[in-house]
Amino acid sequence: MKNPDKEISQLVYNSCLKLDELDFDGYLSLCSPRYRYRIVAYSPELRKDMVWQDVDREAMHHHLDLVPKHVRDLSTFARFPTVYSIDYDEGSKQARVLSGLQVFKTKLDGGETHLYAVCRLHDVVDCSNGEAQLLSRDVHLQTRQLGTGTQIPF
Amino acid sequence: MPRTSRQWTEYPKLPSTHYVNSRIYTDEDLHREEIEKIYNKVWLIACHESELPGKFDYRTFMHPSGRSLVLIRGEDDTIRAFYNTCSHRGNTLVQEPAGNAKRITCVFHHWSYDAHGNCTDIPREAAGYAGRVCKANVGLREVKCEKGLGGFVWVNIDDACEPLSAFLGDALEDLQVELAPPLEVFHYHQAVIDTNYKLWHDTNRELYHDYMHYHNRLTGLSQKGYFDRVFHTYPNGHVQLDSMEIQYQAYRGKQRTLGWPGATVACHKLIDIFPGTTFILRAPSMRVDTMTPLGANKVMIEFRGLGLKSDTPEDRAERLKEHNNLWGPFGLNLHEDLFANELQTRAMRDGAEAAHVLHAREENNTTHDEIGMRQYYAEWGRRMGRSPHDPYGKSATETASQTPTKAMARA
Repeated sequence: MKNPDKEISQLVYNSCLKLDELDFDGYLSLCSPRYRYRIVAYSPELRKDMVWQDVDREAMHHHLDLVPKHVRDLSTFARFPTVYSIDYDEGSKQARVLSGLQVFKTKLDGGETHLYAVCRLHDVVDCSNGEAQLLSRDVHLQTRQLGTGTQIPF
Repeated sequence: MPRTSRQWTEYPKLPSTHYVNSRIYTDEDLHREEIEKIYNKVWLIACHESELPGKFDYRTFMHPSGRSLVLIRGEDDTIRAFYNTCSHRGNTLVQEPAGNAKRITCVFHHWSYDAHGNCTDIPREAAGYAGRVCKANVGLREVKCEKGLGGFVWVNIDDACEPLSAFLGDALEDLQVELAPPLEVFHYHQAVIDTNYKLWHDTNRELYHDYMHYHNRLTGLSQKGYFDRVFHTYPNGHVQLDSMEIQYQAYRGKQRTLGWPGATVACHKLIDIFPGTTFILRAPSMRVDTMTPLGANKVMIEFRGLGLKSDTPEDRAERLKEHNNLWGPFGLNLHEDLFANELQTRAMRDGAEAAHVLHAREENNTTHDEIGMRQYYAEWGRRMGRSPHDPYGKSATETASQTPTKAMARA
């Protein structure tokens, strides 16, 4: 891998683009077979961390397969990640990546856009096969009030 | 056949208990009246005891009246509730939704209170008040507070209210065993939804909308025994639905394996408490919905997911997973329900030609019977002194004098 930082950043951006486009197969193609995805949030009400989603690649695949069969708000989401830091370990060929993420929602009827959520992405990226793949993603939500919610992960 | 304006607005040819005027979901004046006549009089869940497990732990609660309450566990292990308001200048006392404080001290002028609501300190009391104001007379405003079945902490701001046991009656009996072991809240989230609170609670009172849920069509609606469940009504507007074993393998390819003490694996139970609390056991996890109306067209719903306090890490992870798959903010089912309510509200906002909303299915009180909603609106009418089908009409006085049972018998 000639330029790990560039490829790793591109991986983070692509993962968001694929979900924006509802290209679930494309998203999963960026994930390692050992992929683990979690959404966590600290609750000041409970004074502890909560886990709002915790799935491996197979369960994520199953979840995304089911999304089109369920009723959902057809408003669209736009994910805007900013990669803050990439800590690449040459020995393991893995990188820890910290990104900020803003998610905007645009209503289907009328096109009004508003900020839906802010969070941080804590990714582990595996580069051992010559390409960057998501090994894990922990979404740390700051926004906990998500209205009707969404079936599509961040 | 499409209908004209006259046809659209004329009363359905149904008993008046079987439909409501949609303005009860959109009228701001009626909403303010509901707060006064219903929410300021009934018992509401403020939190669960596991949210304030230690001595001097506190938890806040936004009462539908708009008053912030603070619940505190005293050194005697009793949980008491007060207005979260300083007796001095009306400042909010605690700002964090949960915390621990042996003394609650107002940030503004440092008046302090203990967990019994006594004022314990007024800086420079004698110098400023010279006996005209003294600690003994400026305690916090206490609110009725009782711990109920399952460890839920209920409050009622009406000093003259009936006891919690009288309000609930036997409505929670079907969950008596399941709510017996110590429970713990593992999930909490709020959702502010552009809908009327009654529309959300309606959704929890009828299963006809299972047609909307892909998951429920496969695991329930198309399964043996689904249509045999019976709704049971209780005084004060509460309702309970018979349990059923859900066939999760029809959706995920495998049945759930972890159950709940006292319940079968994959058991589903439902109890609705007037005016807006719902207990749902979908083993292996339990969900309790409470809500705070924020206006005729806006409601803040609080969702709690519960497991057993004695859970092993493995069992807790299993309960979490099953809870989140359907009921979390990123789950597949909860979004469907909430979104459907928003769509209802969009269609009702124009009050020029109010629609009639039907609660007219009669199937011997079984699964798709809408008795749960009829029971609700009979109680609503009794408390409001208005008829839900004709909220501004002359039948209002007549309805006010009737009990829910009588009103339903008339149907």
